[in-house]
Amino acid sequence: MRVDVRALGACNRLAERGAERAAAALTDLTGTALAVEVTGVSVAAAGDSPAAVAADGEWVGVRVGLSGGLSGAAVLAFDADRVDGLLELLPGDASLRHSAVTEVGNIALGGFLDGFANHLGRAIELTPPQYVSADDPVASTREGSTDDPVFRFESRLEAATNLDFSIALLPAATPFRDLARGRPRSGEANVAEGAFSEVLGGDIVTGAGHAEAATTGVTYDALLRFASLAAEGSETAAANIEAMTGLKTTVDVSRLRFVPLTDVPAAVGTAPHAGTVFELHGEPSGYLAILFTEPSAARVADAMLPMEPDEPLGEMAEHALCELGNVMTSGLIDGWANVLETSISHSPPEFVHDIGAATVSPLVAALSRRQDYGFVVDATIRTRGVEARCDVYVLPDERELVAVLRRLADP
Amino acid sequence: MTSLTPGEDGPPARPRRVRVGVGDLAVVADDATLTTSGLGSCIAVAIADRRAGVRGLLHAMLPSAARSRPAAPRPGKYVDTGIDALVDGLVAAGAVSTRLDAQLVGGAELLDLTAAVGPQNIDRARQRLNAASIPIVASDVGADVGRTVRFVASGDVVVRAADGFERTIE
Repeated sequence: MRVDVRALGACNRLAERGAERAAAALTDLTGTALAVEVTGVSVAAAGDSPAAVAADGEWVGVRVGLSGGLSGAAVLAFDADRVDGLLELLPGDASLRHSAVTEVGNIALGGFLDGFANHLGRAIELTPPQYVSADDPVASTREGSTDDPVFRFESRLEAATNLDFSIALLPAATPFRDLARGRPRSGEANVAEGAFSEVLGGDIVTGAGHAEAATTGVTYDALLRFASLAAEGSETAAANIEAMTGLKTTVDVSRLRFVPLTDVPAAVGTAPHAGTVFELHGEPSGYLAILFTEPSAARVADAMLPMEPDEPLGEMAEHALCELGNVMTSGLIDGWANVLETSISHSPPEFVHDIGAATVSPLVAALSRRQDYGFVVDATIRTRGVEARCDVYVLPDERELVAVLRRLADP
Repeated sequence: MTSLTPGEDGPPARPRRVRVGVGDLAVVADDATLTTSGLGSCIAVAIADRRAGVRGLLHAMLPSAARSRPAAPRPGKYVDTGIDALVDGLVAAGAVSTRLDAQLVGGAELLDLTAAVGPQNIDRARQRLNAASIPIVASDVGADVGRTVRFVASGDVVVRAADGFERTIE
């Protein structure tokens, strides 16, 4: 299956609108204002485990079957640790957790899918909601070809309780799949084209638009291969840290996400962060940021230094974090360059220590001169014993990344 | 359904909060607090017609739409198109263009790696506001610090940096 990079942007816009509707539905239900903060879309392998399909870690949620404008299934997953905060906002007795989750999930999922139906111009029929959880195999039961990818949309709602939810769409052959492919299916041209012309200002449906789609298309296999490379790079980085510090280091999450560049700062958040930023040269070029929360940065620097530093995040800690950033970045990009058969190098580290979102805003601004969306490699690397974790944001040049991915598909 | 609106004896209701994302803008004509967070090289432009009680906030990333490759379906991404769209929005909401004043926050230089986007954003905002005859009455721009902004009903702009201290800009 060929996935069009620009069409993923269109999917993201649909998902943003769907998430806003889900938030509005939850606001009506709870009487508490909830606003969508971040929406990202990632593409997961069809063969992934049910837990990985819908969300990471422990989750509870609902699954519905879809027919009409979209066919297949959709799963909405709430983080199991955070859903109680939402349930407390509900009127009446929320002690019946299963039924409360099912009700809330169904309302949010209905709101989300309304957004899609609205833009597709066709109603989407939902089967009654079914309560599911991370270890429930029914969560990923699907119709149609199991070779089809899973599209996962993640949203964070800003509220009294920071609430994350993710929605996995497991589409059978539908106009939605054509959205990702960037060209309408014969006989349903109006549906897909209608959605495109609205979300992309019409340029995809013109002749020139199709030509543009052809240049940005990559095969789904190539995209998945890149996503797995991201994981491989993270493992190498973790091994480098372990060799350097002697601290047992693991990668918790590693995933390729497609997000509007303007959402990246909000994804990092407003808490103070410290870490390092690099410019990448080669194919693809771009930027890489390794960010620790302040307490994590102080703990990991402390663990690396032979003596206790004078101040928690002073000059000595800065040097330690720069050195750590260097070995991590080398590990990450060496892994990618080897498999992509390209050459990538990186600038010396630049230390950052500020509001998290502010540290990435210059990177986002620099890239947004040329592109509106970015691939973000999310990796959470955890060192045992010192309870430190960091997030890695890789922001490659979109056109160069697509060129590399296309080469992977057509050597 | 529970209601979060306090009763007559309860504490005064907090004004609603309108969050302005990166590359976005918003206009309000009530006592809402406009907020935007994580300003690094980006610039926030707060414009008000205090007599009409109409305020607007822009969070722009880049100085000019003219030098950027993607089409600009999102005027708030750029300082020039963003200020124009913000002024249009304010006037549509009842502001009088000759009574507008502006406050600027952000445009920091946090990184050596990237070209000096922050100072360019500041220059562009000053030029555009000058061309529109909108006076800049307060600003907190430049340096190498990230900032978070609250634009409150009184017309004051409250800035918070990573150290957590808040201050009203003058």
